[in-house]
Amino acid sequence: MRTSSWASMFRSPFVVIITLVTLWFVATFLVFPNANLLIRTFFPEGQFSFRAVEKLVSSERAMNSLWHSFALAATLAVTVNVVGIFIVLVTDYFKIRGARMLWLGYATTLIYGGIVLAAGYNFIYGRYGFVTNAVRNWFPEIDPNWFSGYFAVVVVMTLATTTNHMLFLGSSLAKIDYQTIEAARNMGASTMGILWRIVLPALRPMIFAVTVLTFLTGLGALTAPLVLGGTDFQTIAPMILTFSKSTGSRDLAALLAVILGLATIVLLAMMNRVEKSGVYFSVAKVATPLQKQRIPNPVANAAVHVAAYALFVVYATPVLLIVLFSFVHSSAIVTGSISWDSFTLDNYATVFGTPAVLRPFVVSVVYSALASVIVVGGMLFVSRLLQKHRNPLTATLEYLLHIPWILPTILIALALVMTFDRPNPMVGGQVLTGTTSLLLIAYVIVKIPFTLRLLKAAFASVPESLEDAARILGAGSMFTLRTVLVPLVLPTAAAITALNFNSLLDDYDAAVFLYHPLYQPLGVAIKASTEGENNLDSMSITFVYTVLLMVIMGFTMYLVYGRGGSSTKRHTRRARTVAAK
Amino acid sequence: MHKRTLTAATLATVLLSTVALTSCSSTAGEASSSGESSGTLIVYTNSNSDGRGEWVTAKAAEAGMKIEIVGLGGADLANRIVAEKNNPVGDVVFGLNNMFFETLKAEDAVAAYTPEWSGDVDKKAGDAKDGAFWPLVEQAIVTVYDTNTVKSADAPKQVSDLWDDAEYDGRYEVNTSLGQATPQLVLAGLLAPYADEEGDLGISDAGWKQVQDYYEHGSPAVEGTDLYARLTRDEVDYGVLPSSGITSRDAEYATKTGVISPEDGVPYVTEQIAVINGTPRQEQAEKFIDWFGGAEVQGEFAAEFASYPVNEKARAEALPEVVELIESLPKQDIDWSLTRERISEWVEKTELEYLP
Amino acid sequence: MIRFENVEVSFGEKIAIPDLTLEIEQGEFFTLLGPSGCGKTTALRTLAGFIEPSQGEIYIDGKVATRLPSEKRSVGMVFQNYALFPSMSVWENIAFGLRVRKTRRAETALLVDEIAAQVELTEEQLAKNVSELSGGQQQRVAIARALVLKPRILLLDEPLSNLDAKLRVQLREQLKNLQRELGITTVYVTHDQEEALTMSDRIAVFNHGVVEQVGTPEEIYNRSGTEFVCTFVGAMNKLSGDVVHQLRQRGGTGLAPAKTSYLRLEKVSLQAPPGNTDAIRLDGVVAGRSYHGSHSTYTIDSHGSSIRALVPEGGGSALEPGSAAQLYIDPSSILQY
Repeated sequence: MRTSSWASMFRSPFVVIITLVTLWFVATFLVFPNANLLIRTFFPEGQFSFRAVEKLVSSERAMNSLWHSFALAATLAVTVNVVGIFIVLVTDYFKIRGARMLWLGYATTLIYGGIVLAAGYNFIYGRYGFVTNAVRNWFPEIDPNWFSGYFAVVVVMTLATTTNHMLFLGSSLAKIDYQTIEAARNMGASTMGILWRIVLPALRPMIFAVTVLTFLTGLGALTAPLVLGGTDFQTIAPMILTFSKSTGSRDLAALLAVILGLATIVLLAMMNRVEKSGVYFSVAKVATPLQKQRIPNPVANAAVHVAAYALFVVYATPVLLIVLFSFVHSSAIVTGSISWDSFTLDNYATVFGTPAVLRPFVVSVVYSALASVIVVGGMLFVSRLLQKHRNPLTATLEYLLHIPWILPTILIALALVMTFDRPNPMVGGQVLTGTTSLLLIAYVIVKIPFTLRLLKAAFASVPESLEDAARILGAGSMFTLRTVLVPLVLPTAAAITALNFNSLLDDYDAAVFLYHPLYQPLGVAIKASTEGENNLDSMSITFVYTVLLMVIMGFTMYLVYGRGGSSTKRHTRRARTVAAK
Repeated sequence: MHKRTLTAATLATVLLSTVALTSCSSTAGEASSSGESSGTLIVYTNSNSDGRGEWVTAKAAEAGMKIEIVGLGGADLANRIVAEKNNPVGDVVFGLNNMFFETLKAEDAVAAYTPEWSGDVDKKAGDAKDGAFWPLVEQAIVTVYDTNTVKSADAPKQVSDLWDDAEYDGRYEVNTSLGQATPQLVLAGLLAPYADEEGDLGISDAGWKQVQDYYEHGSPAVEGTDLYARLTRDEVDYGVLPSSGITSRDAEYATKTGVISPEDGVPYVTEQIAVINGTPRQEQAEKFIDWFGGAEVQGEFAAEFASYPVNEKARAEALPEVVELIESLPKQDIDWSLTRERISEWVEKTELEYLP
Repeated sequence: MIRFENVEVSFGEKIAIPDLTLEIEQGEFFTLLGPSGCGKTTALRTLAGFIEPSQGEIYIDGKVATRLPSEKRSVGMVFQNYALFPSMSVWENIAFGLRVRKTRRAETALLVDEIAAQVELTEEQLAKNVSELSGGQQQRVAIARALVLKPRILLLDEPLSNLDAKLRVQLREQLKNLQRELGITTVYVTHDQEEALTMSDRIAVFNHGVVEQVGTPEEIYNRSGTEFVCTFVGAMNKLSGDVVHQLRQRGGTGLAPAKTSYLRLEKVSLQAPPGNTDAIRLDGVVAGRSYHGSHSTYTIDSHGSSIRALVPEGGGSALEPGSAAQLYIDPSSILQY
């Protein structure tokens, strides 16, 4: 409302610098390389070719897969919200016995994903899974393939993508003013009524933000449909992957990716609009910390407990299995005949016996840490700029910064290699292809949209008067950002950093084209050690790497959440105030 | 406030120490950044798994060559080399099959060089016309079954029986990851007899019918599950793999592999080696090729990794069962230049129209 | 000291303040009073430098300050929700402005201690996190933070609105005393007319972005310049035409018959006021009574009007609803618009 004019934007040298740097970065690394690649793909002979459109429209399989991807995304937008909100409520809102342990169980999706997660569920519920086997012992008529297709994919992906709910919805919940709940109760509102009319509406902006992320995950679903989808439910991502690796078919990949990307942008624009139509942050001067709610109805209480623990078991089992399987011979796992003899340390010996096994870990930790810190640091400034100065320039910038959500990582990586393989004036005449910096740039790029969205949401929850207060006391925008605003969004920023770090740690798609030969990252190393034609222990070795990754990621999450994190801190602070009374 | 500072400090410490770690290692390997004519030779390969990469590195070191293996899957590696062609990072590439090398040659990403051992290999197995790449190892792409469960007599005589005969419906595995080398070779093998200039993408309708039937009646491969695991738990009876994978699988799964040997032969692929165009270490690269493709190293390699070398002098060192298998399988006649030219369109058509 | 000269503030198409001219004297406690959405907070924020007027000028100390950044205007501000920085301790909050100015540590400590003593914050409270303080304590921190830089002007945006009634009354007095002690020019925004009347030296009543009247509390209350001011400030009886007619017939010849007429509750007597011969008697019936402890409010139906009268307790017995009553009204205390 206040400072929307161009003049105010260009008055502060600080803002001008940030704007210029952002413009340069967006032009150099987001627009130029990708436009370059897309023009080369869509205009092969200097004029637009409708080949890709025609091919795709006439392919029943492509149309089906595309439809499946959208169906999956739409379904997940609902199911993930249901499950995600439920687990946030049972861990942070309702008084549930053992909530802390439940939290840990639900949090397992923070530290693993992808093929390992899908395989984990397949080992339990799949055709040869032990739950399926056990049930079939009693009811032989049950279809052994019951856990496949749309249903299975939705179930697994729903459970796997509640991560964002846990982290971001959880912290939004903590910010709700408890007095509003007390007031509602006073006026006779039921537990459900309060939840429905007070708590959930207050969480709306964050629910929107995570819904966009969920939708996006659904559209890009790759491994879960491959492993569990069967022939009836394949999605578009594997096709995009295949096509982007072939020069001749890259236009198809790009077209498909752009279709998915446009859908995301439309959703984003819609959410932006809805988001603007309300004031959500607490206006109370003295926000009372949230206290956990007892569920008064004993039947409902029991039901919620049962559901919470059932979900806990479903969440925790695959992780336990993966840890267990990392100690089991591969053939025993796949043939489903595990006995005491199957246990072995061979898998670990293989991994640690590989020369320089530690080096990829170090390389990936450094790359991921640098990239996550750089992207969060940079986006702190940029999201602030976009939030504070709304004009056509910043609006355009904001949409351009979402390019990495539109294009698959593989295409972004290829575009970077091909653009920076000659001296480029935009980067001071340097050649970046073949240097260690290009992978870092790619990592920063792919994490921009996620970081930007969540930081913007975090900044939006800071009352504007804080800034005015700092300004009238003489603080410049930089000083205010550093001393007043950043400390407030720091918990969110730390969570984003940790998530970025964890997801980059085993990246393969960007690394494969960009890594410097002497600095092999982990994703490539894992792939190399599991891909050999004679390497039959690939699944076990993947499990070993997963276990090692879980250790690193778990440690990262511990740094962010276990110590200064929102949930524990809330507990200790509450404890302190109680003690003081 | 205090707690937060502590976390930030811990994070910073972790970061700094890791940065310090890499900066140490970067000084160690500094001599090798691209653009210098001396230093470590960067060797690109898709044939580094199962200890091959380490073996080659160690052997090269014995011969006085300092190399660094960069191992990536076939399609990814080829894409990377093409993408980097204006400023190559790698110096030598080996292990990719002739199809990929045809692509590299067409993109001017490899440079012609005639190795010392050129006389010991069948020129036709490589790039007979221009000598841009040279053959190292041969492999057959075979359809296998487990003789413990399927009697040799019951196995089909022709691969096409699998989809023509209802008896095998859904009992053979088809790999749908057409971005990978082996499934592409299978496709090339299926289409090779049906080359027809009049047909769609140079293939007659009968050929496309074959592809359609092949995928329609097969059981799609399961991501993360090996063919042999599926064979042993009776999910499928037949499947395709490169011949070099058989020995180790029989040992692991206690299977006894039978191979379908059709009259028309099976697709063979030849792994090649070449200098990457534009490398500043041309001389070293050539030296490496002379060394690695020579009879001595190829022989040792064959004995170690059950490969079938193209180098005739090295073949004596190859494992007898490997030699026996390869020599029992006739070579299918495949027009590789047509395949190279058309394969990406074939893959695209198959992906769009025929995959389940 | 402060002068708004033909200031216009607009947000896009919407004009919040069309044309504001206002003068505030040195050392004055000046209140901007009005219902919510009347433009008073906008005027304050314009003075603070958060909003740039689209027309007109603002002068501070005789110098044009219209485009001066807020930190150069020598103003301190207390926000409606206090806007204390949650990530800092009380001490750090107060010292924030000094830190911005790179004041030396020792001097900062001195200044913070000094101001803390003035607003009665203890050493122990200074060390706490702001979220651990009560509302009243937070308010004092906000004032201390605004004053520590020794601004020439203090801006207060409804600083008492979220406190409980008793604390509000108590803090009103403290705030006024503090202002008097420091002699600082203060601009106070409120929608609470009682707050405005008790604390202000002068009041400007806002309505729809326009100043309806500027004056001392007495002027505003007793000689409300417009109908809006008269109805907004204090409780009023609106008299029917019949009542006005009756009064005119009984000697109130100064009253205009066609205008709307208002009368304050305390100007209505139920007994003949001794020594006031101008008071005119009307007859009526008691319709209701509400008891407030020190006084009662009677509602009396008379000539088509429900006239309320504020009567101090202690003099005689109460009138029961339904019984007859006499009203005594001095026509000169009737306000007509």
